[in-house]
Amino acid sequence: MKTLKRLSTAALLGMLAVGACVGMSGCEKKQPAAATTPSAGTGTKTNAATPAPAGDAKPATTAAAPVTNKKNLVIGVIAKSTSNPVFQAAKTGAEQACKDLAIKYGIEIQCKWLTPVDEDAAKQAQNLEQLVSQGADGISISCTNADTLTSAIDDAVSKGVTVVTFDSDAPKSKRMAYYGINDVECGKAVMRELAKAMGDKGGTVAILSGNQTAPNLNARIQGVKEELKSLESKGFKLKDTYYTKETPGDAAGLVQQVQGANPDIAGWAMVGGWPLFTQNALDNVNAKVVSVDTLREELDYVKAGKVQALIGQDCYGWGYESVRMIVEKLVEGKNPPGVINNFELAVVTPANVDQYYGKWEQWLGKK
Amino acid sequence: MLVILVMALGLTLFGGTKNKRVQNAAGEWEVVQVNKFLDPQNLVLLAKDASFVAIMAVGMTAVIVMGGIDLSVGSVYALSGLVGGMFLRYNWAQGPPAISLGGHGWLVWVILMGGLAIAAASGGMLKKAASPGGSGASRTSGFLLAAIAGVAMLVVIGAFVIAVRNNGDPTGPAYGWKASGLAAVVMGVGVCALIGAICGLLNGSLIVGLSVHPFIITLGMMAVVRGIAFVLTDGLSVSGVPESYTRGFFKSGFWEQALGVPVYPVPVVVMIVVALVGMFILTRTVLGRRVYAIGGNETAARYAGIPVGRVKVITFVLMGLLAGLSASVSLGYLGAASSNDGQGYELSVIAAAVIGGASLSGGRGSAVGAVLGAVLIQMINNAMIILDINTNYTNIVMGAAIVAAVVLDQTKARLLPGAR
Repeated sequence: MKTLKRLSTAALLGMLAVGACVGMSGCEKKQPAAATTPSAGTGTKTNAATPAPAGDAKPATTAAAPVTNKKNLVIGVIAKSTSNPVFQAAKTGAEQACKDLAIKYGIEIQCKWLTPVDEDAAKQAQNLEQLVSQGADGISISCTNADTLTSAIDDAVSKGVTVVTFDSDAPKSKRMAYYGINDVECGKAVMRELAKAMGDKGGTVAILSGNQTAPNLNARIQGVKEELKSLESKGFKLKDTYYTKETPGDAAGLVQQVQGANPDIAGWAMVGGWPLFTQNALDNVNAKVVSVDTLREELDYVKAGKVQALIGQDCYGWGYESVRMIVEKLVEGKNPPGVINNFELAVVTPANVDQYYGKWEQWLGKK
Repeated sequence: MLVILVMALGLTLFGGTKNKRVQNAAGEWEVVQVNKFLDPQNLVLLAKDASFVAIMAVGMTAVIVMGGIDLSVGSVYALSGLVGGMFLRYNWAQGPPAISLGGHGWLVWVILMGGLAIAAASGGMLKKAASPGGSGASRTSGFLLAAIAGVAMLVVIGAFVIAVRNNGDPTGPAYGWKASGLAAVVMGVGVCALIGAICGLLNGSLIVGLSVHPFIITLGMMAVVRGIAFVLTDGLSVSGVPESYTRGFFKSGFWEQALGVPVYPVPVVVMIVVALVGMFILTRTVLGRRVYAIGGNETAARYAGIPVGRVKVITFVLMGLLAGLSASVSLGYLGAASSNDGQGYELSVIAAAVIGGASLSGGRGSAVGAVLGAVLIQMINNAMIILDINTNYTNIVMGAAIVAAVVLDQTKARLLPGAR
């Protein structure tokens, strides 16, 4: 009996070990396909013969790193969470940028994706330190909490790593540049489109937001409110701002409950599209809806006429442009402007929704 | 322990090497190749990342050994860090903050005085209640009074934080309080630990006073404390902690000359001290032995004359205190705290304690084991990075590794009787 028990334990252990091995090797096989430099880690090719030139002159306090003649670069990308599809688009963009720029400059560029599974600023700081320790040359990051990451970013910069933020900035840090939308303008655009969809006749508007601590969402709320204020004379008024966990199920449930309790709500200004990632978030909702982001699931709502407009962000560009800025800085010494947020915001309506389907295929690396 | 050694060996062998810029004797930068895992900077980073969870895991081990569980540690960690940050960034030179709750500032003082009176009363009651001869009624009411005192203290602290927030922009620059290093450290650690201990007191006295399973009480407290942290700050994060607290102490760099880049070992030192003290208390003191006795058989412990209620409350207070200490270390290291900090940490902490050999049915576990458990979890994380495994797979590998580690540990015990 005892032997049997031992045997079964050993068998269980063996299965676990095999499972772990399969899992690991599966990932390892996947890595070269996703990364840009197959099988060429930083360790396989050495640059011992080419010490970083003028490295001793590296200033400790500014972001200006010396122009390198390194033949392979390691760029780390840290988004907020792996579970949000917008960051998968950023990942595709970053990887594509590494591929394109490697060809352009004739060097090897390795793209390291080190995003926490769930949003956790402390975990992001840890990953950032790990990347620096593993010899990354540049890091592109979307900050879950700017204050928590400021000191880690400053440390990385003082060690000669070029840091660019995307989507969510850390304005007090020594990062070289920020690439993302102007969130106040984004909020205003949402309210403008919503007013249009409501026929400019006025009505009660509710705002849907996610994490109460996210500065970018709060800036969008501010934008919605500012635009709403200017429309007060036309009879638009705010019901309230509703916060949800940033998971589709919770968000959809909240919208249904709020709408059920407040049938007078005639318009929803969603500063993030969480409920629309489910199929039936608007089943009993007769209000007009305008939301941020243009994910595939959201496009379906527009096509079905249940959502009147979507305001698009350049999720792919978060990755692509931030990596491009880092590599251009490292290779050419090119200095980007500190903050890039003056894009034309894309407005998706039933009229032009079809052309956006293809874009997402490309953004998620399926084309 | 065995698992950790095997994994370290594997990482050393398979991790490969990396290029690293190092400053040589002449002050010039040169590129050398070092082992990705054995690089001292990587090892210290790994231990540092483990330390925040490890400090709490020592307390969790005591709670689990006693047959309990604490799900509120992540929330307590967040609240302690926030309040500690608020205290540290407030300019005390300008006097205490004006507490004005819309003209009802006196309410705060009434609550403060009432809280103190109740605390004093409950102190006496608790002493009586804790004695094995005390009647059931006085025992229960004593612990409930302790809980009320805890609530009163939280209200007062909450009023303070709201006053600080209303008196200035909580996200703006620091108020300019330039405490000397030691004063800031003592104050920061003290306030964080105090908040944690109050939450622990609340947990412990509610569990004993209401005779409800710790799982339920701490599950409720997890939400309540997180909610308090959110209300106190309106979801904004707290920064502007004095330099003497962050770079001056918890983030002091060492060995910059030797390694080319500084490493920050202070959290690691705190972790080691906590582990040693925890080990001492659990194995060499009356309190520690009582904890094991309660976990082994609570009824037998009660008949043996052990004041079960008091030991439980003390253990939960220690758990809260360690959560506060961990928060103070991370506040010092990261320089900021937010009400969203520590989401889901309770599970990492419990996992670390369990990997370290703590038995969820009570009576077995060790403080040093808990720290090693936390280190093992971080090693898995480190492995993902060193071996270039896609981080999308983190959770799968982590979950499998936790089960494998525990099973391996048990198998070792079964196959080699006497190994333990």
